[in-house]
Amino acid sequence: MSTVISARDLRKYYGRVHALDGLDLEVAAGDIHGFLGPNGAGKSTTIRILLGLARATSGSVSVYGRDPWTDAVPLHSRMAYVPGGVPLWPTLTGGEAIDLLCRLRGIQDPAAYVARRAHLIEAFQFDPSRKGHTYSTGNRQKVALIAALAVPAGLYLLDEPTSGLDPVMEAVFRREISAAVADGSTVVLSSHILSEVEALCDRVSIIRAGKIVETGTLADLRHLTRTDVAFAREGLSDDDLRAIPGSPDLVFDGTRAHFTADSDELVDVLPALAALRVRGLTITPPSLEELFLSHYGGEETEAAPRTRRQARVHRAK
Amino acid sequence: MMDTLLRLVLHRLRRDRLQIPIWILSIAGFVFLAAVGLQNTFGSLAERTVLVRLATANPAIMLLRGPPQGTDLDALLIFTVFGFLGVLAGLMNTFLAVRHLRAEEESGRASLISATPAARVFPPLSTLVYGFGVDVVLALAVAGCFLAAGQDLSGSIVAGLALGAVGIVFLGVGAVASELMASSRAANGVGVGAVLLAYLLRGLGDAFGTVSADGLSAESAWPSWLSPIGWAQQTHPFTENTLAPLILSVIVAAALMGVAGLVLVRRDSGASVLASGAGREAADPRLSGAFGLAWRLQWPSILAWSLGGALFGVFGGSLGTAIGSSDLGNGPIADELSGLTGGTGSLTEAFVSVVFTIVGVIAAGSAIQSVVRLRQEEALGTGHLLLATPLSRLGWLVSYLAVGVMAVVLVLASGAAAAVVSSAAVGAPELADDAVLAAVAQVPAALLFLGAVATVWALLPHLTAGLGWGALILAVFLGIFGQLIGLPDWTADLSPFTHSPQPAGADTDWTGGIVMAGIALAAGVAASVFFRRRDIAGG
Repeated sequence: MSTVISARDLRKYYGRVHALDGLDLEVAAGDIHGFLGPNGAGKSTTIRILLGLARATSGSVSVYGRDPWTDAVPLHSRMAYVPGGVPLWPTLTGGEAIDLLCRLRGIQDPAAYVARRAHLIEAFQFDPSRKGHTYSTGNRQKVALIAALAVPAGLYLLDEPTSGLDPVMEAVFRREISAAVADGSTVVLSSHILSEVEALCDRVSIIRAGKIVETGTLADLRHLTRTDVAFAREGLSDDDLRAIPGSPDLVFDGTRAHFTADSDELVDVLPALAALRVRGLTITPPSLEELFLSHYGGEETEAAPRTRRQARVHRAK
Repeated sequence: MMDTLLRLVLHRLRRDRLQIPIWILSIAGFVFLAAVGLQNTFGSLAERTVLVRLATANPAIMLLRGPPQGTDLDALLIFTVFGFLGVLAGLMNTFLAVRHLRAEEESGRASLISATPAARVFPPLSTLVYGFGVDVVLALAVAGCFLAAGQDLSGSIVAGLALGAVGIVFLGVGAVASELMASSRAANGVGVGAVLLAYLLRGLGDAFGTVSADGLSAESAWPSWLSPIGWAQQTHPFTENTLAPLILSVIVAAALMGVAGLVLVRRDSGASVLASGAGREAADPRLSGAFGLAWRLQWPSILAWSLGGALFGVFGGSLGTAIGSSDLGNGPIADELSGLTGGTGSLTEAFVSVVFTIVGVIAAGSAIQSVVRLRQEEALGTGHLLLATPLSRLGWLVSYLAVGVMAVVLVLASGAAAAVVSSAAVGAPELADDAVLAAVAQVPAALLFLGAVATVWALLPHLTAGLGWGALILAVFLGIFGQLIGLPDWTADLSPFTHSPQPAGADTDWTGGIVMAGIALAAGVAASVFFRRRDIAGG
C-alpha cells in the first residue's frame, strides 16, 4: 500500500508553547486513520500543517509525496477539509456556501455534482435556503460535510467533523464516509469521540502533548490493555481461584470475582474456567476508552509547556 | 433587583470602556477644534457675512449644514457643525443599542445572562439605562467644550441638551431595530439608515427654507420638523435658546422605547419581528470563486461609499461656479482654497479639487475596507475553508485587491458623474472637465492606501483594521486640516492626499500620482510575498 501522509519529527512552536513536539505519522492509501487526543494535544495544528495553512518549525512532512506548504494548490485539488465548528458567511445561504466551496474545489462532472449534492442534502436533512448566521452548530457542520462529500476527494482531512451533530446524523456521516472509502479515498479523522473512531477507523494514532504516543490497528492497540474476566464467586474455594492461570490480580466485587488477562493468555484461561464450571461468565475486551484513559490518566507531562501560562511558570523555575 | 440592574449596567460600561470614551471625546474634541478654528479663520464680521450670504444663496450648503442664524460667531459655529454632531450622536447611540441588544441575542450570550435571575427584561432595561447615562455624559461634554471654547453658558447648555436628545431618540431607534431584525448587521443597517434619513429630512427642510430679506438667516421648511436632528437644530442654541422642540425628542424616544419593550415582553428570546428571510438554495453562477465571493460580500458597502462620493460630487458640481464668481474672488474662502491647493489654477478648479480630495478620502476608505474584510475572513475562519481548496493564497489576496481597486474607481466615478450631471443642471457644463480630471487625480492616493494596508495585513494581520483606519484618519487630519490649525508644512507632506496631482487642465503635473501608483503596486507585490511566508491566523 502506498503512503499518502508521512510526517517525521514534526515540530511547531508558538514562542515557547510547543504545539507539536516531534510528531511522526504515517497514513496509508485507503485507510481511515483515527487521530485521537484530548483538547489542545495538537490535532488541529497537525491538520493545518497538512493543509499548508501553517508551516512546521522543523521536521519533514509530505502529502502524496509533496510538500503541503509549497505545493498547496495542486494538493488541495485532491483533498477535502472539514473543520470542527464551521464558520459561515452570515449573508450567504448554506446552499450558496456549499456551491462556492465545491466550485473552488473543482466540479469535474456538473450533472453528477447536482445529483450528489441533492442526495447529501436529503441524507443530512439540511435546509440550504437559510442565511449563514441562522444555522445552529450542527447545521453549520453539515455545510462543510456536504461540501466535502459532494465532490469526490482522494484524501479527507476531518477535524472533529461531527461536533454538534445528533446521533442520527452521526450515523449518516459514518455511512457516507464509509462509502467514500469504499471508492478508494483515504481519511484522517481527528476526534475525541471514541465510539466514532472505534466504529470507523482501521488504524488509530493517539496524540498527546504534540507527540504520537501510540499507533497501530485497533487490534494492535487492544493488546496493550488486558481483557476483563468476571464470574460468580458462589461455590468456589480460594484454592480453586488460585489455580486459574494469570489470576494474581483477582479481586472480589460483591458476589463476583474479577481478574484481567492478556488477550493471548485467554486461551489458557478458558479451559480452567470451564473445568470449574463457573457461572455468569463475562469476558469484556478492552475498549478504546480504557486505552485512552490509560494514556491520559492524570499525570502531567513535564516535557513541554502546554500553555503560555505554563511556559511562564516553566521559565521562572 | 436594583443590584442586578446595577451589575448589568456596569458590565456594559466595562465592555465599552474604550469605545464610548473615544466616541464622546471625538465629538467633544470636534466641537472644540471647530470653535477654535472658526474663530481664527472667520474672525471678522465682514468675512462671516460673506460666508453666510454664500450659504443662504446655495440650498446645497444648507442641505449639508443647516439653517444659518445670523453672523455671530457662535451662531455660525452651530450652523457649521451641528448637523454633523447630530449624525455622530445618532450613530453612537444606534450602534450602542444594537451592540448590547440584538448582537447579544444573536451570539447566544443573551441566553446565558437570561438564564440567571436577571431574566429577560433586565438586560435590555439596563442597556437603555446605560445608554441614557452615556447621553447625559455626552450632553455635559459637548456643553463643556462650547463653554471652554469661550461661548456663553446658556447657549452651551442648550446645545449639549439638544445633542443629548438626538442621542436618546436614536437609542430608541436602535432598540426598535434590534426588535425588528434577526441579525445585528441588519439592525445596524436600519439604525444607520434612520440616522441618514433624519439628516436628509432636515437637509431638505433647510434647503427649501425661507431666507430672510438680508440673506443672513433662514427659517427651515416643514421636513426639518420630521427629523430628530432637525429638532435639535430648531433649538437654535446661542441665538434663541428655545428648548421646546426637545419635547418632541423626549416623546418620540419614550414611544420608541415603549414599542421595543412591548415587542420584547411578547416574543421569545432570540426571535425577531422580521424573521431572517430565506435565500437561494443554490449559488448564482457568478459566486464561483474568490473574486465572486469578495464582490458578493462587499457590493452593498461599495454602493454606500459610492453614494457618499456622489453626494460630494453634487456639492462640487453645483457650487463650483458660485464659488468662482467674482464677488467671492478675494474673500477669505478664496484664500482658504488656494492655501489648500497650492495656489495654482482658477478658484473654481481649486474648489472642485478640494471637494474631490474628500471624495478621494471616501475612495481610500472603501479600499481599506476591502482589506479589512480580508482580515475578517481570516480571523473568523472562513478563510481556512477557502484556502483548503485549490485556491492559491495569491489568488485570494488579488481578489480582494481587485475589489478594492473597483471600489476606488466606482466611488470616484460616481463622484465625477454626479458632478458632471449637477454642473449641467445648474448651467455650468464647462465644470465637467475639471471634475473628471480632479477625480482621476485622486486614484493614486487611494490605491496607495490599498497597497499599504494590504502589506500591513500580510505582515501584522491583527493590526490591519487599527493601522488601516488610523492611517487614513491621520492622513486626512495632516493633509486637509493640518494647515487650518497651523501645523508646519512638512507634516502635510506626510499625507498621500497632499501629493495627489492638482488639476490644472493640460498643465497638470502628474509626477506625484505616478510615484504613488508605483509605490501602491510595489506594496501590493510586497503583500503577496509576505503573505506567502506566514501561517494563516485565527480559526
